[in-house]
Amino acid sequence: MLKRNQLVLGNKSLKDVTDDVLLPLETPPSKGWLGMLAGALTIFAFYLVIIGTVIANGMGLLGVNHPIAWGTMIVTFVFWIGIGHAGTLISAILFLFRQKWRTSVARTAEAMTVFAVMTAGIFPLLHTGRPWLDYWLFPYPNQRGPLWVNFRSPLLWDVFAVSTYATVSMVFWYVGLVPDFATIRDRAKTKLKKLIYGSLSLGWRGTAKHWSHYEMVYLILAGLSTPLVLSVHTIVSFDFAVSNVPGWHTTIFPPYFVAGAIFSGFAMVVTLMTLVRMGFPQFKDYITLDHMEVMNKIIMTTGMMVGYAYGSEFFIAWYSGNMYERFAFVNRAFGPYAWSYWVMITCNVLIPQIFWFKKARRSIPLMFVVSIFVNIGMWFERFVITVTSLHRDFLPASWGMYAWSFFDGAILFGSFGMFLTFFLLYLKGVPAISIAEIKPVLGVGRQEGGHHG
Amino acid sequence: MSEEQNQPAVRERDSRYYLGLDEWMKDPEFQSYVENEFQSSPIREGSEKEEGWARREFLKLMGASMAMASAGCIRRPVQKIVPYNKQPEEVTFGINNFYTSTWSDGQDFATLLVRTREGRPLKYEGNPQNPFHKSGLSARAQSHLLSLYDPERLKGPVKNIFNKDRTSRDTVTVKWDEADDAITAEIAKGQVGILTGQITGPSQKAVVLDFVNAFNASHFVWDGLNQDALLKANQKCYSTSDMPFLRFDKAKMIVSVDADFLGTWMSSTTFMSQFAEARKLNHSSMNQLVVFDSAYSLTGANADIRFRIKPSDQLWVLMGLAYELIVNQKKSKFSEDKDIINTLQPFAKAPERLKISQNVFAQMAKDLWAVKGESLIVTGGLALNHAQGEMVAIAACLLNEALENEGSTIDSNHLMLGMTASDTNLIKLIEQIENGQIKRLVIHNQNAVYASVLGARFEMALKKLDMIVYCGDRVDETGRMAHFVLPDLHAMESWSDLEPVDGVYAIHQPTIRPMYDLRSFGLTLMTWGYLTKKGPSRFKDIETYYDYLKTIIKDEVLQKYAKGKSFDTFWDELLQKGFVALPDFDKTGSKRKLNKLAFSEVKPLNAGLEGLQAAASLDLELVPYATIMFKEGSLSNVSWLHELPDPITKICWDNYAQISIALAEKLKVKEGQLLDLAVNGKQVTLPAHIQPGLHDQVVAVAVGYGRTAAGQVGNGIGQNIYHLGQLEQNQIQFSGQKVTIQVTKKDYPLACVQSHHAMEGRQIVAEVTLAEYLKNKSAGLHKHHIFSIWPAHKYNGHKWGMAIDLNSCTGCSACMVACQAENNIPVVGKKYILQGREMHWIRMDRYYVGNPSDAEIVFQPVMCQHCDNAPCETVCPVLATVHSDEGLNDMVYNRCVGTRYCSNNCPYKVRRFNWFSYTHKIDKPLHLALNPDVTVRMRGVMEKCTFCTHRIKSTKIELKTQGETYKDGDIKTACQETCPTGAIVFGDLNDPESEVSKMFFKDERSYALLEEFHAAPSVRYLTKIRNNGQPNRHNESHS
Repeated sequence: MLKRNQLVLGNKSLKDVTDDVLLPLETPPSKGWLGMLAGALTIFAFYLVIIGTVIANGMGLLGVNHPIAWGTMIVTFVFWIGIGHAGTLISAILFLFRQKWRTSVARTAEAMTVFAVMTAGIFPLLHTGRPWLDYWLFPYPNQRGPLWVNFRSPLLWDVFAVSTYATVSMVFWYVGLVPDFATIRDRAKTKLKKLIYGSLSLGWRGTAKHWSHYEMVYLILAGLSTPLVLSVHTIVSFDFAVSNVPGWHTTIFPPYFVAGAIFSGFAMVVTLMTLVRMGFPQFKDYITLDHMEVMNKIIMTTGMMVGYAYGSEFFIAWYSGNMYERFAFVNRAFGPYAWSYWVMITCNVLIPQIFWFKKARRSIPLMFVVSIFVNIGMWFERFVITVTSLHRDFLPASWGMYAWSFFDGAILFGSFGMFLTFFLLYLKGVPAISIAEIKPVLGVGRQEGGHHG
Repeated sequence: MSEEQNQPAVRERDSRYYLGLDEWMKDPEFQSYVENEFQSSPIREGSEKEEGWARREFLKLMGASMAMASAGCIRRPVQKIVPYNKQPEEVTFGINNFYTSTWSDGQDFATLLVRTREGRPLKYEGNPQNPFHKSGLSARAQSHLLSLYDPERLKGPVKNIFNKDRTSRDTVTVKWDEADDAITAEIAKGQVGILTGQITGPSQKAVVLDFVNAFNASHFVWDGLNQDALLKANQKCYSTSDMPFLRFDKAKMIVSVDADFLGTWMSSTTFMSQFAEARKLNHSSMNQLVVFDSAYSLTGANADIRFRIKPSDQLWVLMGLAYELIVNQKKSKFSEDKDIINTLQPFAKAPERLKISQNVFAQMAKDLWAVKGESLIVTGGLALNHAQGEMVAIAACLLNEALENEGSTIDSNHLMLGMTASDTNLIKLIEQIENGQIKRLVIHNQNAVYASVLGARFEMALKKLDMIVYCGDRVDETGRMAHFVLPDLHAMESWSDLEPVDGVYAIHQPTIRPMYDLRSFGLTLMTWGYLTKKGPSRFKDIETYYDYLKTIIKDEVLQKYAKGKSFDTFWDELLQKGFVALPDFDKTGSKRKLNKLAFSEVKPLNAGLEGLQAAASLDLELVPYATIMFKEGSLSNVSWLHELPDPITKICWDNYAQISIALAEKLKVKEGQLLDLAVNGKQVTLPAHIQPGLHDQVVAVAVGYGRTAAGQVGNGIGQNIYHLGQLEQNQIQFSGQKVTIQVTKKDYPLACVQSHHAMEGRQIVAEVTLAEYLKNKSAGLHKHHIFSIWPAHKYNGHKWGMAIDLNSCTGCSACMVACQAENNIPVVGKKYILQGREMHWIRMDRYYVGNPSDAEIVFQPVMCQHCDNAPCETVCPVLATVHSDEGLNDMVYNRCVGTRYCSNNCPYKVRRFNWFSYTHKIDKPLHLALNPDVTVRMRGVMEKCTFCTHRIKSTKIELKTQGETYKDGDIKTACQETCPTGAIVFGDLNDPESEVSKMFFKDERSYALLEEFHAAPSVRYLTKIRNNGQPNRHNESHS
């Protein structure tokens, strides 16, 4: 039997774990954190102003036009939704597979999921022409007939998929937090803190009955989340696949989108984890290089899966004999937007290949750079799919180019402000590693700790 | 309609109407108010003149009463909703009223049915019964309506405050009587000139003539696009400069040398209609059009065979053809004529010079001879504005004579009466001003300072005059030079008449009361006669132009058009029908006598150099051309026309220097790169447009741009190039001048609505040659095996459908403007066109076919295809676009959230999105042009062609209330109605006898766009046929 590496380094005692994890919550914020929060808040405020301007003046401020009616907002929506995937995958699927290494990264990955879905969720609502009427997208009893929504529209499925996903992942995350909140409550020195975390911990006392219920709920939620990992991005891909635009209308989209989502999600986890390790050095013992290496392996694997999908698309476009389809793909790689295609190929397929080398997999600066490239590449993947397919479809007379504007960049940039604001607040307000889950795996790989098996 | 409703103009000078107010007027307080009012004018001058208070007093009172009368007529913005408690007869809220009227821009003309609602004209439609263009109209005619509501129209007379050099731009408003006073004092002194555009109505002609007689004035007729060369040629060949009416419908073969008769040349709407008539495939034979094109014209785009030439080639083309016909093939009555053969001799090597194969010429001559008497050679347009233009026109006369077309396709029995404008007249006027023969000038709506090569000289000359009166609708480039600008009524506010061709007389009714303090030009002239007591009695005694018109009809028109009929019957019929045509109007003939000597004047330029060497020179030649939108530059403040892409280049909101692909490669110029063009030492900087199918030694630039006083919309769009021309030996040299190009490094964005120009081997516009079609009627169509696992939709009542005959469509784009007017489609401007945000519901796709340097063009109007299996409908999450039980793809604006998914999923990309709130940006009173039948769309809402669903609904309601059933043709869409060639047919596909059904299901040429996609559109196209004598066309493969 292979000898396992230790999941937690530094021979931590149970108290050490609690102390380490709760350190950010129990110490005053550092200058670095405050500076980053100030930056993130500024971007967030800027984002809100941009959103307000777009709502006040119209979608025309962005580069969307005729024939490219979907642009930056949809691209960025799919980008953020994709990022959300890693969280659920780690917390739910790896939980079901009893992958113990997940415990130290699961909490943060889930938080990332929740914030990414929140960031993403704004876009479909915002990108409509009349955002104040977005509630019409939901089927609710009304006095207009009643007038229902169109259940044939993939966009409607999308509404359900994303809202379900957001709800379940939020509940899952929260349920996992309950024992830790109770720990914070128990250690709280101020009344206010006690009150807040007390109410958040829902009266957790840590009795055997509590634990038994808790684990059952957690298992059920993991079970519920698992199909969602597949379904959300499948349905997001239906927005494209069910339509009939050459370059969108392909059956490969669901698995390809899911693989891509996991790919980008893990890249984002790596990005954030390297930063968290930097900001909170005590976490290095919990989020070890081994963790990072495992995730890099996943990045490389899923990177090759999307690479395969890119190739497969081309093959099928040729094999189908459909001239529009063929043209769409040739145009992707060699048309006016070829640069974006090759940015995507380079970032998503070529660059992660460096992870064949163990040294690369275990080099923090390198993996940070690679993960940034993957993030860029995955944004461009959605750009390639959305924009290059639309810009040249059936009738050459209606071909056109995307009309970039300041607002396109501002929306994309600003969305990071929103995400980072939430994420930074999370790091200070919520234990970034699951105390309750990390304690049982303390012994994994330890020489003397045979009792954990 | 009865007389009472149609005389708003009656009150223009009807002082009797206010007799009852006299006592009140004499009230001292009121009088002092009136006086103060006048004293407030800063330009009040010489009030203490001796000629007396009595007259001034009278005029003041009259002025006041007029001001009150017109104040009563002013349309104020409606602030409250007040019921129409005295509802005029015939006016019902929500019901359209149609009035017959006319339209003319000097060159082109139309008889109209003007649709009005609640007293405001909303849309021009062609009078369907007229013998010229049916219900067809041009884009310009459609757009003319918008100029009525132009916010920048003058609202009353103004006076320019001149500085010493007359360069200042300040104006003050004046009262009509003050202006009249000052003007009549001047013009009574004599030496008066009057400059007008072409006058085609007897009443207009009479009123100007009366003015000329009254003041012993000289009349000059000029128009920006006048046919100077043709008039001169006619004068020489036939001793009369009158233009005969042309019958393209009777011509089996047409050769045009730079005469854009399908676009901008003379009565193009009528010609287009005639041309399409002779091209319909249900005739025994289809006509053939051969075009020699200096710029890529709309006519060239429709040619069966097109040759690219440069202006200096024109004469060689026609004379070469004549040489081939008369000398080589020894055909025609001139084949033995020594003089003519001698004249033709220098042109023996024309094919060599033109680099066109001798065989082509031989074949063309043979084909022409085969249909002698049924062919037509035309030339004309701006490209003839050069030293040899007149000879080119004479050469065309020679060919037409040789081919015996005079009297058949050239109908000199019916003259185009108004076509008398010429540059010669303008030159004469300028000379007479310069040598002091004319000291006072009245100008009616002719912007000669802008729209002429002689503009600068004319402007200088104007500064010498003691009094200039400009009667236009704004202080434009010429108006700036005038002492007084007396705003004329808009055509829709005034009575008039039109006799475009001898034998057809049309009445021009107003459809709205004058919106401001305006006066018709005719009445202005009459008023001056009245004030000075000069001129024939009808001129000074009749009080309104309306009465004057009736008098003229009684005295002159009745005689000619309705012998024996009483005036009242004739009048009523005229108003109702809109026009009257003489019974023998269709009978063509000739009443001109040929003067053969004229032909011997035709000589090649540089005869000594054998011409061949001249051809070897690589000088670039300037080709000024007119666009279908602005022609010489009028209607420049109409945004619809700026937004309408040029049908050939698909560029809007600019003019540019067109160069060929080879020239662009040679100069290393990219699209939109700025070029400094130098002609005669004069310069202009224009962006380059690389135009396939252009001659390599040609730089083609549109006139009509670069206005400086058109208004907020039109000012500063493009560059004016009129100043590049010059006057040499009393002949305007504009076309064919040597151009030198200096390439700059700067780029300039051109707003092109179509970025890709090839069909990429897809079956989009199916096109075959006539030979192929005759062999197999569905030639060129790849039929896909289509099956569906679903049952098709059932349509139990009507099923609306449309068929578009691409063989008739000329790409004139009138449908686009008609749709815009009908459906309240916003204009977005150049900035947003560049971003791909144009809003047209129907677009005119243009593809180049064949070798790029010699590219042919095909057009395809594309609107919502109203698919049975509409891809847009399934993807809308909120059911804002749904299928109707009559096959329409309905768009529910109220429900639309604006996800734009439908647009993405539409394979035809015909949906348009309101990116911003366009409707709120409509300046008042332009909002009056909005059609109340069609809702305006708010921001964030998708829109598209509705098949004019409001027309369908209102007709159905009307039929239901009258208990009638629907007959084919009861409902016409706006695009169909306005199409001058009848290319668009709309109707019920469930009725097997309907025209659209026959085209849709039975015509072998019919195909659906992207048929294999199986959206099952309700629009089908019919193959385009090119009658180019080729056995087949290299068919691009389609899988």
